[in-house]
Amino acid sequence: MVRLLLDPFGDAYMRRALVEILVLSGLAGVVSVYVLLRRLAFVGDALTHTIFPGIAIAFVVGQSLFVGALLAGLASAVLLTVATRIRRIDHDAALGVLVGAFFSLGVVVVSTQSSYTSDLTALLFGRILTVDTAEIIETTAIAVAVLIVLTLVHKEVVLRSFDPIAAEAMGYRVFLLDLLVNAVVALVVVAGVRAVGTVLVIALLVVPGAIARLVSERIGPMLVASVAAAGLCGYLGLVASYEASLNHGVRLGSGSTVVVALTIAFILTGGAAALLRRRGAGTAAPGSAVP
Amino acid sequence: MATSAEPEALPPLLAVEGMSVGYGRQLALEDVSLHVGPGEAVALIGPNGAGKSTLLKAILGLLPLTDGRVKVLGRRPVDAREHVGYVQQADTLDPEFPVSVVQVVLMGRYRAVGWFRRPGAADRRQAMEALAEVGLADRARDRFGTLSGGQRQRVLLARAIAQRAQLLLLDEPFNGLDATTSDILIEVLARLRADGVGVVMSTHDLAVAHLTCGEACVLNRRRVAYGPIGEAITPGTLAEAYGSRAVLLASGATVVTTNG
Repeated sequence: MVRLLLDPFGDAYMRRALVEILVLSGLAGVVSVYVLLRRLAFVGDALTHTIFPGIAIAFVVGQSLFVGALLAGLASAVLLTVATRIRRIDHDAALGVLVGAFFSLGVVVVSTQSSYTSDLTALLFGRILTVDTAEIIETTAIAVAVLIVLTLVHKEVVLRSFDPIAAEAMGYRVFLLDLLVNAVVALVVVAGVRAVGTVLVIALLVVPGAIARLVSERIGPMLVASVAAAGLCGYLGLVASYEASLNHGVRLGSGSTVVVALTIAFILTGGAAALLRRRGAGTAAPGSAVP
Repeated sequence: MATSAEPEALPPLLAVEGMSVGYGRQLALEDVSLHVGPGEAVALIGPNGAGKSTLLKAILGLLPLTDGRVKVLGRRPVDAREHVGYVQQADTLDPEFPVSVVQVVLMGRYRAVGWFRRPGAADRRQAMEALAEVGLADRARDRFGTLSGGQRQRVLLARAIAQRAQLLLLDEPFNGLDATTSDILIEVLARLRADGVGVVMSTHDLAVAHLTCGEACVLNRRRVAYGPIGEAITPGTLAEAYGSRAVLLASGATVVTTNG
């Protein structure tokens, strides 16, 4: 058993993949809790699409795809924040318009090229097994920046999430707080694209926080649980895809296996939580951890 | 008694002069004037859609005026928000949100704590004192959503107490509340007024208005009547504000509307 869990990491590329997924888990695990509190799952989903034209343009002009994604991610975070404040238009509709505009721009740019398929497949589903050290450093830099920002504005973001009217009445610039959180989500999307792809990064942004909410009613413990769930599933997903590919002849994509692990963890936690609730009905004991 | 600690020259806590507020072309409020000094309390009385919430939001600086002006502590509303407490109806808040009762009360301290910093021991003490005042000290660690509707309303009141605001705005705080909560609200408002806090409260409940406020402003998009509560609230002004659906029961009872 121990061999099964440790053997895969004898190779350098697997060790790099592990480091990348663990850094990403720490980042996405934390941000996922804020995504849950602010109900930003759909914004996260929108951002996975709106970074596409940035990547497509960077690809066509031969620049860094990472920088392309970063610029498109931040630009769309600004537009998303503005769009969701238009009173006459429903949030969902505003996001839909933006996603359509950005994504079609990406498709138009890409359709001018003939040799894009393999790179763009990697974009959609990730290629965590080929990350290099420079890319790990980029992910780590994003993670550190995001964690510092969230630590600094934690109480304001929680207030705005819980009670936007009070936040505004107390004089907080809700628009700026929203912009900050949307930019943070965009950064996680950009950082996660390489590992698990645009399609699956949304799972990293949503599932760990949802698991954490099943486990705890307090934000502090939720952050811990979310990071732990993301890290554990990242690790187990890598092990499973390695084992299946090498010893059982089944080619499992690493990024997607991580997401499958997250989904299984969510279902198991949900089942366990439902069982506990049924058994402990009446004696519900809220967690005793310090807020 | 309320103003004993206040120097004479201080501006009134709230001065609303000829204020009009509109949504699009429609005016939600027209030419409303209102003054609140330290320790004074004004009840906003009027039917749904009369502009009571609009008036409160304009005082907070959340809505642009189409005419007139609002001064809070002699300043523009946006510059005085730190000193203005706002208590909305608790049922607008998500009961599933993972936040404890004391954390909600601590939010009242955030402006005083400032950006980038966490509330300290003194803030926690003030939050606990505020919770004790509304009779919920023993529920501090419970999740906000596990409390009853009336208890949640008391938590929001405790948050405003912890904020140490000089002007308190309450939007229908007595709607559908249990007797305990109503009693506590009345007691707390009396204590705050004695300490010099000004209060503006919208309500449908005339009995509560008489118990908590010295003055009333009867509204229906424009100011129907304004002054000492006994003079402002009369069968005539209520009929004018509520239309023919209003029935004034024997002294100090409630407005009954037959048709929403």
